[in-house]
Amino acid sequence: MLRRNVRLRREYLYRKSLEGKERLRYENKRKIAEALQEGKPIPTELRNVEAELRAEIDLEDDKTAVPRSYIDDEYATATEKDPKILLTTSRDPSAPLVQFVKELKIVFPNAERINRGGQVISEIIESCRSHDFTDVILVHEHRGVPDGMIISHLPFGPTAYFGLLNVVTRHDIKDKKAIGTMSEAYPHLILDNFNTKLGERTANILKHLFPVPKPDTKRILTFANQSDYISFRHHVYEKRGGPKSVELREIGPRFEMRLYQIKLGTMEQTEAQTEWVIRPYMNTTKKRKFIGD
Amino acid sequence: MGRPSEAAGMEALHQLKSTEPPQWLAPSASLSESARAASQHLFASLRPHVRKSPFDELLVDNFDAEQIWQQIDLLTQPLVRSIRRRVKHWEKNPAEIENLLPEVADGGKKVAQGKKMEEIDDDDDDDGGDMDMDDDDDDDDEEMDVDNDGEQDGGKDEGDESEEEEEEKSGGIEDKFLKIKELQEHLEDEEARHYGLDAKNKKSKKKSGSKKLEDEDDDSEEGEEDKEEDDDEDEEVDLFAGGDDEDEEDEMGNARYEDFFGKKKGGSEPKPRFKDELGEDSSSGEEEKEEELSSDDDDDEEEDDDENVNKKPKVLSTHEKEVQKIKSEIEKMEKANLDPKTWTMQGEVTAANRPKNSALEVDLDFEHNVRPVPVITEEVTQSLEEIIKKRIIEGQFDDIKRAPGLPSKAPRELKPVDENKSNKGLAEVYEEEFVQQTDPAAAPLSFSDEQKKEIIEDMSIQSNVPALAMEEIAPVAVSDAAMLAPEEVFSGKGNVKAEVELTQTERKRRRAKKKRKFKAVETKKMASKKAREDELRKQKEGTLLVVQVTHLCCQINVMLNQKL
Repeated sequence: MLRRNVRLRREYLYRKSLEGKERLRYENKRKIAEALQEGKPIPTELRNVEAELRAEIDLEDDKTAVPRSYIDDEYATATEKDPKILLTTSRDPSAPLVQFVKELKIVFPNAERINRGGQVISEIIESCRSHDFTDVILVHEHRGVPDGMIISHLPFGPTAYFGLLNVVTRHDIKDKKAIGTMSEAYPHLILDNFNTKLGERTANILKHLFPVPKPDTKRILTFANQSDYISFRHHVYEKRGGPKSVELREIGPRFEMRLYQIKLGTMEQTEAQTEWVIRPYMNTTKKRKFIGD
Repeated sequence: MGRPSEAAGMEALHQLKSTEPPQWLAPSASLSESARAASQHLFASLRPHVRKSPFDELLVDNFDAEQIWQQIDLLTQPLVRSIRRRVKHWEKNPAEIENLLPEVADGGKKVAQGKKMEEIDDDDDDDGGDMDMDDDDDDDDEEMDVDNDGEQDGGKDEGDESEEEEEEKSGGIEDKFLKIKELQEHLEDEEARHYGLDAKNKKSKKKSGSKKLEDEDDDSEEGEEDKEEDDDEDEEVDLFAGGDDEDEEDEMGNARYEDFFGKKKGGSEPKPRFKDELGEDSSSGEEEKEEELSSDDDDDEEEDDDENVNKKPKVLSTHEKEVQKIKSEIEKMEKANLDPKTWTMQGEVTAANRPKNSALEVDLDFEHNVRPVPVITEEVTQSLEEIIKKRIIEGQFDDIKRAPGLPSKAPRELKPVDENKSNKGLAEVYEEEFVQQTDPAAAPLSFSDEQKKEIIEDMSIQSNVPALAMEEIAPVAVSDAAMLAPEEVFSGKGNVKAEVELTQTERKRRRAKKKRKFKAVETKKMASKKAREDELRKQKEGTLLVVQVTHLCCQINVMLNQKL
C-alpha cells in the first residue's frame, strides 16, 4: 500500500513535470497550424522543428490536440465514488470548537468526526488512507472561535488552507425552534464567482467534498466568492407560490473563508510543493483578485 | 525767529560735531535745534553765491525735515551746475587752476587724507573753497544719510553730522587691525592692478585735483567700495583704450578671497562649535578652536564694517535681532544633525535597538496591503440570497456529475417480447403456417375454421380511470381506505378537536349549532308540508263548498218545487 502510493505519487509528479514541455510543444504546433492556415511564413524560431511538428499535427485528432492538464488529476476517480470525510480538530479543542465540528459533521454528508486526543497528523493520515477516506478536514481555533480549516484530499491530493472569519455557529443562535433541524439530504452546490484558474482549482477542491445529489433535493450549500473572501451559506428552500417564487430558510453555520495556501501533497508532507500561497506584503495585493472577479 | 548770528551758527555746528553717535538715535529737541541753527548758518553762507533763489534765508521754524531739505535743494541745484561748468572749464584750461592753487591746495590735502575725512575749517577757507567744500559736505550728507540706518529726519539733515559720524565710526571700528585708510588704499591698489596702471594714475590725479567729480557722479551708491567702483566706471573708456591686457589676465585669473578680505586665520567662518559635543578628543582641539573662534571674530570684525558698528553698543536693531535668531536656530539644527538619529528615524529597528516599550508610545501608521475583512451586513446577506434564489429558479447548480463509468461488457440486447398469453394454441399456429405455405386462398378446412371467421373481436375491459391510478402498485393487503390520501379521508380546516377535548362552552356551542341546523331543516320541512296541506285543504274546502252549494241548491229546488 505504501509503495503503491509512493509510486502513484511519483508518476503524478513526473507527468506534471512533463506538462511544461507538453505545453510548449502544443504552443508551437498551434503557431505552425495558424501560419499554414493563413498562408503566412512560419516564424523563424520554429523552422527547425517545423517538419516533425507538422507530421504530428496531421496525426492528431480532437482529443489529443489539446494537452491534458494534470493539475486535477487527483480528482479523476473522485466522481466514481462518494466522498468519505474525516473531521477533526487541533489538539486540546475548546468546547465551542467541538460544537462547531459537530455541526460541520452534519453539513458534510458522509462525514465522520473523531477526537484528536494526542495523535500526530501523519498517524491520522495513514489511518485514513487505509480506511479509504477521500478527505480529511482539520479545524483550528483561537480562544473558542474557529479560525482555520485545512482540507486535505487523500491519497496524495492537494491540501487547501483556509482562514475562517465571521463565524456564526448554530449553537450561537438561541432560538432552537426557529432554526429547526438540519436536513441531511445530499445538497445542491452553488459556487459563485470562481473565474480564474486558481478559482477553478479551489472550486474543484470544494466540490469534491460532496456526493452526487438527487436533482430534487431542497438543500443548498453556497460558496460565494467576493474579492477573495468565500462566503459559506447553508439554506433549505421551498417553492410555495409557484415555479418562480422561492423561499429560503437559512440553517447551519455561516462563515467567510479566505484561502491562503494550496500545497500539492497531503497535510503531513511538509516538503510538498506549494501550488499557490498568499502574498500580503506585495504592493499590488490590494488591487489584485486571485480567485474571482 | 530771526536769523541767528554767525557765531551762534558756528556754535551749533560745533555742538553737533561734538555729540556722541548714540545720541543721534534717540530724537532730542536740543540736537534738532542746533541742527536747524547750523543749517541756517550754512544756508546763509551759501546764499551770496547764488544769483537768484526764492529764499533769502532758510526757514526752519515749524518746518519738517522734508521742507527744509527742499529749500536747500532749491538753493544748491543751480549752484552745483555752475560749479560743474567751472570744473569742466578748468579741465580744459589747467593753467587757471594754478591761479586758484593756493586755496585749492588746502582742500586737496584734506581730500588726500580720505574721501570723507574733510575737516571743516570754514573760517579759514575762502568763500570759493568754502563753497566747494560745503557743497561737498551737503552732497556727502545726502549720501551719508542714505548710508546709515538712522531713523531721525530732524537730526540728520545736513551739517557736519556725516563728518562727525565718520569720525565716530572710524573711532569705533578702527583698532590695531583695521584702518579704514589702509583699506581704501588697498582697495584702490587692487583695482588699479585689476584695471590697469593708467587708471591708478588718473585716479590719484583726480583725487588730488578735486573730489567733486567723484561726488558728483555718485548719486546712488552706499559705502566706500561703491565709490571706487564708480571711479572705475568713469575710467572704463580708458580701460578699453589702453589697458595692459597681459596684466589684466594674470590678475583676474589669480584674484582670490585673500586678496580682497585678507588672510583667514586657520579656518572658515561657518565652523561647527564643537565645544560641548566632543568629550575626549576635543581637549587640545578645543583650545585650537577657541583660538580659531577668536580669530574668526577678529576676521568678522575686520570684514564686516557696517554690522560691527551696530554690534558694539548693547541695543540691537531689528535686523540684527532677526539675524541673531536665525543664527541660533541654525546652530541648533546643526547640533541636531550631528547627534545620532532617534530610533523612529533609523529605518529597520528591532526591539534591541530601541528603548523598552517605546513602540507603545509612538503612533505607528502602516499602509496595509491586504483588503479589510468584509463586514456581513444586511445588504450582503440580501445579495447572496438573491444569487441563490436566481440559481434555484434556473435550476443551475455546480454539483459534480457522475462520470459514466467505462462498461466492462456490452449491454445485453433486449428484444421487445409480447408477454401476453397467446390466444391461439400451438396446433392452430402450425395449421396456419401450413395453409400459408400451401395455398393462401384456400377454403376452410373444417367447421371450426368457419366458426373462427365469425369470431367477434375481443373484449378488453377498459376502465375509465386515470392512468396514474392504474399504474399505482400497492400491495394487496393495503385496503382502499389506506390508499386514499389524507385529504380525501378528511378535508377539514383548522383546529379539529375530538369530543373528549372540548370544553363545556364548546360543547354547548356545538349543540346549539346542531339545533339550529336541525331547526332550519325542520322548518323547511314544515314549511313544505304546510304548503302541501294548505293546498289540500283548499282543495277540500273547495269541494266542500261546492257540495254545500249544490246541497243548498237542491234544497232550494225542493222548496221551490213544494211551493209550486
